[in-house]
Amino acid sequence: MTMAPDRPRCATPIDVAVLMDYWCAALDAAQEETVEAHLFSCDACGDRLRSMIALAEGLQDLARSGALRVIVPEAFVRHAAATGRQVREYAAAPGDSVQCTVAADDDYLVARLGADLAGADRVDLSVSLKGVEVQRMHDIPVNAQTGGVIYSESMVFAKTAPSSSMVIRLLSVEAGGGERVLGEYAFHHTRTIAGPPAWES
Amino acid sequence: MSVESSEADLALRIAGGHPDAEAELCRRMAPRIHLYGLRHLRSSSAADDLVQQVLVTVLEALRAGRLRESDKVAHFVMGTCRMTVLDQRRGAKRQERLLAEFGADLVPAAPAGPSIDRERLTRCVQSLNERERSVVVLTFYDEQTSRAAATALGLSEAHVRVVRHRALKQLHTCMEGGA
Repeated sequence: MTMAPDRPRCATPIDVAVLMDYWCAALDAAQEETVEAHLFSCDACGDRLRSMIALAEGLQDLARSGALRVIVPEAFVRHAAATGRQVREYAAAPGDSVQCTVAADDDYLVARLGADLAGADRVDLSVSLKGVEVQRMHDIPVNAQTGGVIYSESMVFAKTAPSSSMVIRLLSVEAGGGERVLGEYAFHHTRTIAGPPAWES
Repeated sequence: MSVESSEADLALRIAGGHPDAEAELCRRMAPRIHLYGLRHLRSSSAADDLVQQVLVTVLEALRAGRLRESDKVAHFVMGTCRMTVLDQRRGAKRQERLLAEFGADLVPAAPAGPSIDRERLTRCVQSLNERERSVVVLTFYDEQTSRAAATALGLSEAHVRVVRHRALKQLHTCMEGGA
């Protein structure tokens, strides 16, 4: 990040986490007043807050871009659809094989992976291509009451991918390191966006 | 070498009718007011308007010698910001007459915000662990509170707060080139 011109250093700088909590309106009234009183007399911390705001805005753009591989809750998908974003969804139960694609105007691509998560203390999500694990998402956030996991694929990846088959597995990782398959799902992606895939062009 | 006047000195000089002191106070306070506006109004243009409104109010008070304790200029500006935002939220527009009278030429432009390297940020976010990434996405996608993110992810609110703090510190370090 680029910073503002040199300022006098602050002898008691506000912690970056507190600055971000301030920006996110996550402080109580007394803490907020303390932070604001400091900011009205300290331009160095003001510059640091501007950096945190730039980071927050960058994170917001990134979160909204659909470019991240990330586990999301139902509320995220509902909110995206309600705010006019184009969400392409595929639902799969354990053992299912799903034909899928992505269109140029899709904003998000999500897979709803049904699974019985009861009793699973730690769950990993594994992605395999041609029988080889190419990605492992360790200790994903799960809510056993939802009966599954929602995986949001990177749109950058999906829109440039060639036709291919991908196997996703949800794995319960036991304390001793052993794994138990909670569900296995095959996704057969057909490329429908014009032009060659990025890595074949 | 020039020595910056204290804000108390500026307040006294403004009361004495010195336009250069007014300009200096505006130069110092505008960025601080703008930050306050960004935080509370969530819009750069609204923050620009707040800068104008607050400075006009503050200058009027200082010119009239209404600030009893001249060493509390910053506190007075902060209080004026708070009252102005409250007024705005009530839909009041009582500052329009003053703005029309004094115009915007007193008000220095707010500093440009820092730029961010989008590609680097993407790499930094992808380097977070899964819980951290989910919490960050939920927090910033729609400015969700810790409680809302916790409910959505089936985690405790305290856990979400800890995860968010850890993730943001890691991101900050990563963006500064440390990781």
